[in-house]
Formats: sequence, structure tokens, C-alpha cells
Amino acid sequence: MTTALQQSGGGGGSSRGLADAIDSILDKGLVLDAYVGVSIVGIELVTINARVVIASVDTYLRFAEATNRLDLSEQQGAGMTELLGNTTQSVAKGKTKGMLEAVGEKVAEALQDKREELERPSRRRRGE
Amino acid sequence: MSVMAEDKDTVCYVYGIVPADVVTDEQARGVGGTPVVTVTQGKIAALAGDIPRDKPLGRPDDLIAHERLLDLAAAETPVLPFRFGSVMSSKEAVADELLAPYHDEFLSALTELDGRQEYVLHGRYVEETILREVLSEHEEAARLHEQLRAQGENASQDERVALGEFLFNAVAAKREKDSHTVADALAPLTVAIAPRDPTHEEDAVNIAFLVDADHEQDFHAAVAEIAEEWASRVELRVLGPLAPYDFTVSRSTPEG
Repeated sequence: MTTALQQSGGGGGSSRGLADAIDSILDKGLVLDAYVGVSIVGIELVTINARVVIASVDTYLRFAEATNRLDLSEQQGAGMTELLGNTTQSVAKGKTKGMLEAVGEKVAEALQDKREELERPSRRRRGE
Repeated sequence: MSVMAEDKDTVCYVYGIVPADVVTDEQARGVGGTPVVTVTQGKIAALAGDIPRDKPLGRPDDLIAHERLLDLAAAETPVLPFRFGSVMSSKEAVADELLAPYHDEFLSALTELDGRQEYVLHGRYVEETILREVLSEHEEAARLHEQLRAQGENASQDERVALGEFLFNAVAAKREKDSHTVADALAPLTVAIAPRDPTHEEDAVNIAFLVDADHEQDFHAAVAEIAEEWASRVELRVLGPLAPYDFTVSRSTPEG
């Protein structure tokens, strides 16, 4: 079976990584400011940016480059529909995994390198 | 009182709110490897822990510790997750200023979440498959592609950008359509649905579902069916059970 479903249970070994944590806990969940006034403490936060998809020239060029890599030489012998149905399956899987990992690494690097205040409404820092 | 806390060199990190009968494991560790305790008030409790006042937060380990603690809790009990980096002056302040005034509100939210879990369905297109799909469905894309191929190294930046932009938009349209298909297919098995923003330009779906325990098996079966159907074009992952990050709303929106 080629089903690519992965279940990462909350209890056991998790295949979730940093990127998934960032997607969940940075801009989701309850906000303390909505409940509490004076006792909030603004603690220094390392810069963390949630990943967003931006339509940029770089992104466009990456897509064009990816298309360029498609090996369409087989196409001369086979119809496009046939290609879609069968031939692509085995090749494609490894490629995407590699990309996923690369994204995770990039995020990790960015996190380690930058240590500035998070872009949020600044909070009072008590005792200063 | 909070005023007293100004001199302390520790502050209190708040992870989330759970029913008062929840017991924390002594081994449980939160951000910066600090211990996690419960601060109880009436029928609710905060998962919280003292952390050093001056140590910056946000390293990968901190983020993962926050997430893991809440997700482990969510697997056992209803939990209201707080956003990363929620810090108050002291445990006393957590009890007196957070838990006490909003006790009933938090309790009713916990009751509503009882027996329900959040799952996130995240799918990434298999690049080669999805690009071939677009090229075969759009003459314009195929034409631009052929044009580039014919020119090889001599192709201009503008021509590359034109093809890339077309592909970007075509994939976005596929994401929109596929997300709707998934949401429609799973809606009857879920309590609530919350779309998440795509985190990559080749994301196929990124949707949070709140699932009742009664429907959990059916939900997973339906997801497996989708995964099988898409085996060659989407890498699908189910994350969860997660703390209900996508279904917990702060009080700025008044609740009836």
C-alpha cells in the first residue's frame, strides 16, 4: 500500500516537529490579555514567525524550476493521462519528504539565529 | 497580591486550564525544563509553573515543551490551551485574577469540550504529480512550459515568472477545491471545522476538526479513505489528538 497517512498520537512517539508546534501555539489558543490586567508579565520572546505563504517572484521561479525538472521525455512515447495515472507515483514520494524536512530545518535555524522581541503588542515589563 | 511579585526572580507561566481533578505527573516538564504544577481554584485548575523572570523564551525546545504538555493533557482531559508565552506574576495571581473571576466561564467551556478532541488534517501535494496535473489541465501552462523548454538557458526571467505565477495560482485553486471536498466529506463526522492557513505553497489541505469520541473511529476511517484515494498526489498527515487550539476562543467575543 502506498497510503501516506501518518498518525502521530498525543501519547506515544510523535512525528510532529517544531513546524507543527509553531502552527498551533503561536497565534491560537486563549489570550491572557483578554482576562488579566496588571499581573501579566511581558517576558522576552525570541523572534518567532509563523509560516505564511507569500506570492513572490522567488516562489514563482521555484515553481518554474520544478516544472523544468519534470522529465517529460517519456511523454513522447506515452500519453499524458497514462503518465498521470501510473508512472509518477514511485518517483514522487521521496522528493516531497525531502522538502518537508528542509522546511523544518529552515524554521529551526531561523529560530536559533534571531533573538529579538516577538512582534506583538508590547506588554508592560514589571519591575523596570 | 501581584504587587509583591515585583521583587521575585521567578514568574508564573500558564499553559492551560483543566478540570480541578487533574493530577500532574511529577516528571512533567514545561518551558526551559521547569516543573509543571496545578494551581487550583474551585472546580478548575491552571497548568502552570514558575520560570526565571529574565530568561528569554521561544527556543525550539520551549515551543515543543508547551505543545507537548498541552497535547498530552488533551489526550486525557478537556483542556483550554493558552497561547505560547502567557506569563503572570505569580501562582497567587493566577488563582486570584485569572481563575477566580472567570471560573464559571472556563468551567462551562471545559464541559463543552468534554469527550471531544481536536485533529488537524494536513496534506502536501506531491510536487511532480500536481505540476503534471496543472500542465495537462491548462493549455496556457503547457504552452509556457514548452516555450521555456525550447529556450533552455536562454529563457528570460519574465517568462519563468509568468509560468511560475500561473502554476502558483493553479495550485492555490486546487487547494481551495480539495479543502472544500475534504471539509464536506468529514463535516457529518465532526462537531466543528476550522480551516488553517496554508503553511507552504504546495499545501493541499490544512484543516482542524473537533471530533466527538462517538465519531472518532468513523472519522479516522473516512480520513484513511481520503488518504488512499489521494495516495499518489497528496502526502496526508493526521495530527492529534491535539489541545483544541483552533476551537478555544478568548472572551472578547461574548458568549451566550
